[in-house]
Amino acid sequence: MSRRIRLAVVPARRIFIGRLLALGFVFVVLAVVLAMLGLKLGMVARLVVTSTFGTKFGLEDLALYMTPLLMTGAAVWLGLRAGLWNIGAEGQFLAGATAATAIGLFLPASALVSLPLAALAGLLAGALWSAVPAAGRAWLGVSEIITTLLLNFIASFMVYYLVTGPWADRVTGAQVSSERLHVALPVIHGVVHWGGVLGLVIVVAMGLSLGRSRFGYELALSGSNPTAAHYAGVSVAPRIFVALLFSGALAGLGGMMEVLGTVHRLQGGLAHGYGYLGIVVALLARKSAFALIPAAFLMAVILNTGIVLQTLQVSASSVLAITGLLVFAIAVSDELAAYVKLETQK
Amino acid sequence: MTLWISLVLHALAYGSILALAAQGEVLAERAGVINLGVEGLMALGAVTAVLAADASTSPWLGCLASLAVGAGGALVLGLATVSGSASQTLCGIALTFLGLGLSAVIGHDVAGLPVSATFTSWPVPGLSQVPVIGALFNQSPFVYLAFGILPVIGHVILFRTRLGLSLRAVGENPGAADAVGIPVKKYRLCAVVAGGALAGLAGADMTLSVMPVWSEGMIAGRGWIAVALVIFCGYRPVLAAVSSLLFGLVMSLSFFGQAQGWPVPSPILNMTPYLGTILFMIIPALLLPGLRRVMAAPAALGVPYFREER
Repeated sequence: MSRRIRLAVVPARRIFIGRLLALGFVFVVLAVVLAMLGLKLGMVARLVVTSTFGTKFGLEDLALYMTPLLMTGAAVWLGLRAGLWNIGAEGQFLAGATAATAIGLFLPASALVSLPLAALAGLLAGALWSAVPAAGRAWLGVSEIITTLLLNFIASFMVYYLVTGPWADRVTGAQVSSERLHVALPVIHGVVHWGGVLGLVIVVAMGLSLGRSRFGYELALSGSNPTAAHYAGVSVAPRIFVALLFSGALAGLGGMMEVLGTVHRLQGGLAHGYGYLGIVVALLARKSAFALIPAAFLMAVILNTGIVLQTLQVSASSVLAITGLLVFAIAVSDELAAYVKLETQK
Repeated sequence: MTLWISLVLHALAYGSILALAAQGEVLAERAGVINLGVEGLMALGAVTAVLAADASTSPWLGCLASLAVGAGGALVLGLATVSGSASQTLCGIALTFLGLGLSAVIGHDVAGLPVSATFTSWPVPGLSQVPVIGALFNQSPFVYLAFGILPVIGHVILFRTRLGLSLRAVGENPGAADAVGIPVKKYRLCAVVAGGALAGLAGADMTLSVMPVWSEGMIAGRGWIAVALVIFCGYRPVLAAVSSLLFGLVMSLSFFGQAQGWPVPSPILNMTPYLGTILFMIIPALLLPGLRRVMAAPAALGVPYFREER
């Protein structure tokens, strides 16, 4: 005799195996769809490899994609830690980028002064962008999922307004873009800038401090069981508010890095879906902040695959579809991993 | 005067999109399943409506295709979250991404082209001849469905029939519902699928009537606004229709402002629907905290049901 039971706490190994299968499933579906579209799989695979690991430029691209993904991933991860879904990292990213652009365009100061100021502006703008959803969720119980998401649209209209209106490029006449910024993050090698290193440091510091501090413990407690947290003397609402503010700040800093390190202009399509991909990064990392690093790497590869597909005349939004499929497969595999067969004596 | 009439007409047309999606979401959420994939289902519905209407030169077949696609997408969500009890939040977000991405890929070739078969307006005999307000009775079939037929049917089914009582029981207390013999998962699955079909139809409303062209990103958050609207209307079908009209008015403000030549840049005007929706979520919670009890979400909303843990 055997029967199935559902585990309350699922061993990490089972989750891991389930997710590997989920990833495999997504790759098979992708391959089938591409084959149906009449593309040669071998050629696509070769293109993907050369544009990622195969060449020096590919590796540099990968590093450039990883940086914003790491930041938005960290933003969503921090929210999830407190039981919050920050779907608005995209908007907070844009807000941070906008604030950093303002410093880069209008502050006549040396890089030594303007770079820290731009970072601060990015952090503050991201936090500000998440402040209304944070307060709404913490004290009024308004779903943060919807409010953070709606603010993404507002942010993209704001950027569009600025780069076609007051901040439009009048020097080279580039469309939907600001002028080239006067400051930039210093580069390490080729086009790879120090933003990525800063991102790695922040993620590691976050992992170390949240796992060992009272604040981190109370945050996780508020997230996993607000009632228990309340009876343990933790005031839940301020924790939720602060968690979502920090989450927005991380995404905002990511926007600053992107605009000052990689793009050097404020542009219409700047956020590139990084905020949404950050959800997947956070999801893949589960409970460990350190796991954000390999997760961001994996998503950078997927993003690069999407860009290769775009050159093959598949719509740019295929990345979104692949992401959706991956999230779906992970959600289902995580649930299925909880079921075990139990042998019972008759 | 004519300007105000045109504002109301605009609000009716754009509000009908929200109303259709919101009626579907009311149904699903009353049964205890929060479908965050509405945005994606609307996109899929919109693009399949265009493809089917172009292929068959019949807008009705376009509608049918969008209903089927919406129901199919919601079935996937239902199987994962109801039958498989996976996270509703996660699967809903995934469905939104999947729907937005897939619709862009599928609709790549028809993007920006005029739709060959669309719905014309149906004048109500007699009423449409009345001066001034006659225009209100010369609408697309979607408007009559969204503001006339569906809210009434939804209200009667939910609050006046045994079926509706069972559906609400499943959303409030699935354990108790199960104990009296109501098949919880079957009810939830059916509610999600029916709701998804309506989300698909809302997409068809967009591309076959309101703005007859498919372009990527045209749903522009309307699915999320519909989800917000369901919370705002307290999960009630009639109030959902009324609030859709209100939200439709807010959405029309940007068009109104552009037509009037308000000295506000259009990207700023375009923000108003989203700002308005956020305000509609925050202000009632801020000013009328007592209302939250009356308008509360179903008690088991978003919680998967396990018979073993009853």
